[in-house]
Amino acid sequence: MVIRNTAHRWGAVAQLLHWTIVVLIIVQFTLAALAEDLPPLKKLGMLARHKSVGITILALAILRLAWRWLNPTPALPETLKPYQRVLARWTHALMYLLLFAMPLSGWMMSSARGFPVSWFGFFQLPDLVPKNRALYEALLTTHGTLALVLGGLVTLHAAAALAHHFMLKDDVLRRMLPFT
Amino acid sequence: MSKRAMTKGARALPAPWLLATAAAVCLAARATGAAAEAPSPVHYVLDQSKSTLEFTFTQAGAQNKGRFTRFPVSFDFSPESPAGGHLEVTVEMGSLDTGDKERDDTLRTADLFSVAKFPQARFSATQISKTAQGFEAAGKLTIRDVTREVRVPFTFRTADEHGVAVGYMSGKTSIRRLDFGVGQGDWKATDQVGNEVGVSFALRLTAAAH
Repeated sequence: MVIRNTAHRWGAVAQLLHWTIVVLIIVQFTLAALAEDLPPLKKLGMLARHKSVGITILALAILRLAWRWLNPTPALPETLKPYQRVLARWTHALMYLLLFAMPLSGWMMSSARGFPVSWFGFFQLPDLVPKNRALYEALLTTHGTLALVLGGLVTLHAAAALAHHFMLKDDVLRRMLPFT
Repeated sequence: MSKRAMTKGARALPAPWLLATAAAVCLAARATGAAAEAPSPVHYVLDQSKSTLEFTFTQAGAQNKGRFTRFPVSFDFSPESPAGGHLEVTVEMGSLDTGDKERDDTLRTADLFSVAKFPQARFSATQISKTAQGFEAAGKLTIRDVTREVRVPFTFRTADEHGVAVGYMSGKTSIRRLDFGVGQGDWKATDQVGNEVGVSFALRLTAAAH
């Protein structure tokens, strides 16, 4: 397996970044859901982990975009209809956007609440916005809404990948899988 | 009252006897210091609107801040003879403000400050001494139902503001919350909420009649 992307296949680095982020996004949804009904102290710990993982995703998203820019992007299959191309482009673009918007809105929300973000207790991140209750409420709604949008896009993306593999029988899913 | 009586007794005694015991030397030093200038301490009270009492703590690995907004102070002090000073601070625990209502409510609960049961914290210092940097007040700090000896370094300067004698007192120290039982049950854990709590104050005091 090659490190860099080719015109037909995602390389090892792109795959590692993709699947690591997949796992971390699942972790994020789980931690957020678990935190919901916890008593204050346990909630604090759960959300601290959620924030740390979120910052990790933000860092990985930056690396991922940089790597994508430095590498060829495997072409979409020739068989795709124009509307499918447009749909695929938009889904990917929006997911990339959300990889930034999710952690940034969460980080801003923490700053607005006055609960600064620490990365696993190793270092503290600066506040992005001043403390402001109304802003916090607005960002809380934004963060939650974006999470729903991301959930929808990821579902669409996964369903499309499976459809490509099992129905269209092309290599769209396989080229993002190792050992295939 | 008793201190004044002792002072008088020490002054009346002959010098060789004073060197006999360490305790007596201590008293003598205090007595002669007071006798040299003997400026009587000024009685100060707090100008609440121009004073702050803040605390810092780590929450989930990040520094957070809070403050108290009501903490009457009574301070009898003269920088020239700090030993005669007496500091009393009463902190109304219900006035705590960390800028987050949910967190404030949590802090007021039984496992933390237990404000309903222990509405006030108190610092009472009767041993005030001069240090290289300023002064130090040694006394008893009571939070919840735990009293411990603490030493608080501070600086003090006086000013005359339109004929009113004013004292500016500031300093900072740190205490461990668990020493005072602030954190029962799950809150004894320090991984999310640190044990070390920084305390800082900047007070504007105005001279008042006794």
